[in-house]
Amino acid sequence: MSDTFGELAEIAAAPRPRRARRTRALPPAIVAAALVPIALIALPIVYVLIRSADAGWSGIVAELFRERTLMLFWNTSVLTFSVTGLALAIGGAAAWLTERSDLPGRALWRVLFCLPLAMPAFVASFAWKSIGPSFQGLGGAILILSMESFPLVFLPLAAALRSMDPAPEEVSRSLGQGPRATFMKVVLPRALPAAGGGALLVAAHMLSEFGALSLLRVQTLTTAIFQQYELQFDNASAAVLSAMLMLFCLPVAFGEIYLRGAERRDKVGRSAVRRRREQRLGSWMWPALAFSALVCVLALGVPFGRLGYWLMRGVSAGRGIEAIGPALWGSLSLALPGTIVTTIVALPLVLLALRGGGRIARIAERLPYVVHGLPGLVVALALVYASIRLLPAVYQTRAVLFAAYAILFMPLAQSALRASAELVSPEMEDVARTLGRGALRAFVSVTLPALAPGLGAALALVALELMRELTATLILAPTGVATLATEVWSLTGDGAYAAAAPFAAALVLISGLPVYVFTLRTLDPGGRARKGTPGKRRPRTG
Amino acid sequence: MYPLSRRALLKGAAFGGAALAAAPAFLAASRPARAADGPLALYNGQHRPPVEALIAAFTAATGIEVAVRHGSSAQLASQLMEEGAHSPADVFWSEESPSLFALAEKGLLAPLSAETLSAVPAEYSAKDGTWIGATARCRVVVYNKADVDPATLPASVLDFATEAYADKVAFAPASGAFQQQIMAVMILKGRETALAWLKGLRQYGRVYNSDSAAVEAVESGDIPIALSNNYYWQALAREIGEADVQSAIHNIGHGDPGTLITVSGGGVLKSAKNAEAAQRFVGFMVSEEGQKAIVAAIAEYPLRPGVTSPFPLTPFGELDPAPVTPNQLGDAEAALALLREAELA
Repeated sequence: MSDTFGELAEIAAAPRPRRARRTRALPPAIVAAALVPIALIALPIVYVLIRSADAGWSGIVAELFRERTLMLFWNTSVLTFSVTGLALAIGGAAAWLTERSDLPGRALWRVLFCLPLAMPAFVASFAWKSIGPSFQGLGGAILILSMESFPLVFLPLAAALRSMDPAPEEVSRSLGQGPRATFMKVVLPRALPAAGGGALLVAAHMLSEFGALSLLRVQTLTTAIFQQYELQFDNASAAVLSAMLMLFCLPVAFGEIYLRGAERRDKVGRSAVRRRREQRLGSWMWPALAFSALVCVLALGVPFGRLGYWLMRGVSAGRGIEAIGPALWGSLSLALPGTIVTTIVALPLVLLALRGGGRIARIAERLPYVVHGLPGLVVALALVYASIRLLPAVYQTRAVLFAAYAILFMPLAQSALRASAELVSPEMEDVARTLGRGALRAFVSVTLPALAPGLGAALALVALELMRELTATLILAPTGVATLATEVWSLTGDGAYAAAAPFAAALVLISGLPVYVFTLRTLDPGGRARKGTPGKRRPRTG
Repeated sequence: MYPLSRRALLKGAAFGGAALAAAPAFLAASRPARAADGPLALYNGQHRPPVEALIAAFTAATGIEVAVRHGSSAQLASQLMEEGAHSPADVFWSEESPSLFALAEKGLLAPLSAETLSAVPAEYSAKDGTWIGATARCRVVVYNKADVDPATLPASVLDFATEAYADKVAFAPASGAFQQQIMAVMILKGRETALAWLKGLRQYGRVYNSDSAAVEAVESGDIPIALSNNYYWQALAREIGEADVQSAIHNIGHGDPGTLITVSGGGVLKSAKNAEAAQRFVGFMVSEEGQKAIVAAIAEYPLRPGVTSPFPLTPFGELDPAPVTPNQLGDAEAALALLREAELA
């Protein structure tokens, strides 16, 4: 008896030890399909290297050690670390309050904490900026962007806290550990991958953010890359800065792997999700409520309030309002197919890394995260360069734009898919194969259906990002096609804020749907089915 | 594992399948216009209101449809260079002459008809007749009326780069018009003076990302003075209402580079599939009807003689601008080198 307890406590206290994943041959079709995303990702990397080479070694060195480059490097670092840290703190506190405490109105707070996802950063920045100049600059940018990006931490973390098997916590408590020690030793290690994954998304966003920072007058590597392309047509120094930015992304890309460790999360039986005891807030109730309310005012009240204000006023309102229909159609007709393409392209890469096992496969799976921090502009220019030289017939068709979307947003699909794919035990496929199915059929009938929850989250998250994508769309969309995001951008560029407001509002509204789906999928991946069959759980002892 | 979901998967598969089936249709529908009967493809770097007004008038007059790709002039010019002979574009309308100049240098623009070229004074168009200036804009000083007495403003734009104006002057190094102003300073006062001016602005001025952002900052009281283009202020005054506007325009004049005429104009791509319609479009830009449509939508000066702007502009003849032509400004590449040397880019 005591042995069993000891073993359970060990399981509870630490992530499971590394277990060599036997390489199960993936169906060759999937391995071949994984070459598509790898080739796509290679495009911008090769492009940046070719263009950097134009600068020559001395040019590259001179560019790297300019005073200005150091300033950009510093600003980029401060912004990325501060926003990521703040988003972790806010998102972490919000997740704990809504999932583990007895905060009143948790269901409502949960929805409110997700809603900032629907607000594009450049719309929020414009809203803040129109209050007064003090919100410009690095400090303002850190505040505004933290407020708009903390849901990226909150959501996965809340989902992890919620779906965590309560058994190890109960074991820890029954062994005499206090709530704090249990939280630190049992809950935190298991929540880290979710929080870390969200934080890395935030960091990658900060590295590639352009619109918001441009409005707030903050100069980072990405805004400098835009400026360089604005200044000069054929720009080697922009390419050198892009290469630097990719180096910046490397730790972000591989950080997630480090956070995850080699922990194995799949299991054959389904854990029970039972009600767990809530932490009583007691005298902390009011501070907790005040914190939640403040976050909502800053992240939602101010941007939505200003948007409403601009909707109401201004003589420029009404100009181009008839363009809302075509722009809405433009957004949907690009974002929806783009989402499907991106998700399909990402799938084989996830499977390859998870099942192929090899080092090369795992590095290949990380490459999209390196490119994710690149501004859309660079990816778009790479595709212009490549498609004109290699496939002029597809230039300025949607096909090229979808390729750009896939390159830019594959990691979002990968993270969501990976979360589901990890839960699928390869042994299940083995069982199917011992029962006489071929590799591909076993995969299609066993593994693929189990990916569906992750698929929903992946589709929603990618759709959300594609709806607001700006720079690649501007360069690659077929001539004459406008989207809500490009309309907002070009109208605010002309100073016509009141005219931009209806487009921005429409953008926020249609973003609501993917946010809803994503939220639901993340917080409640199994849907109603979760409620069934308590208590059937089989602790794995290996 | 989730009990799911075979049904959900089937739904998803059906959806994905439908999307894939639709993909070829999308591709077919989105082929760039290559046939001569497709709409005229315009790459537009100019502000949208005048372009949309001109297109409406052009389509009404000729029946020719126009498909527009909006972007910044420099970015579209670089895209056109990358596209080369494969470009789907017929016409390029640039906010700034340097982008047109650069395309002409690369041999990508076709000569315009003599009739089109004769519509505006020759000094505002390409020497080789490959692009034409349609409207003129003016570099100005915008100041906040509460903070600045215009009588105390200096006699030269060079004086703003001094300690007396520390943290008082907004400027936008990424702005194409600002780069043309650098060129003008360089042409009129020499390279060393221009570099010292930029270094002074970097030390004492405040960098904004665009001319319009700088003007808005002055209007909101963020900073007292901005170097900008005239029409940003007029657009703001129209948006806010003349009576409520907190800022005003100051023209330095007397040939100082602080008052510089820059032009917005157009050219026809050599690779244009709709070459004839493209020539008609550029001709229409400088026709009486076209010029009226443009200047009703943006506070720029019509370059065709006899057309007047409905905006309350300082009369063109009274500006007394810097004696520098768009052809002298060239592709403004020297300005970029200076900006880099001054660590502003």
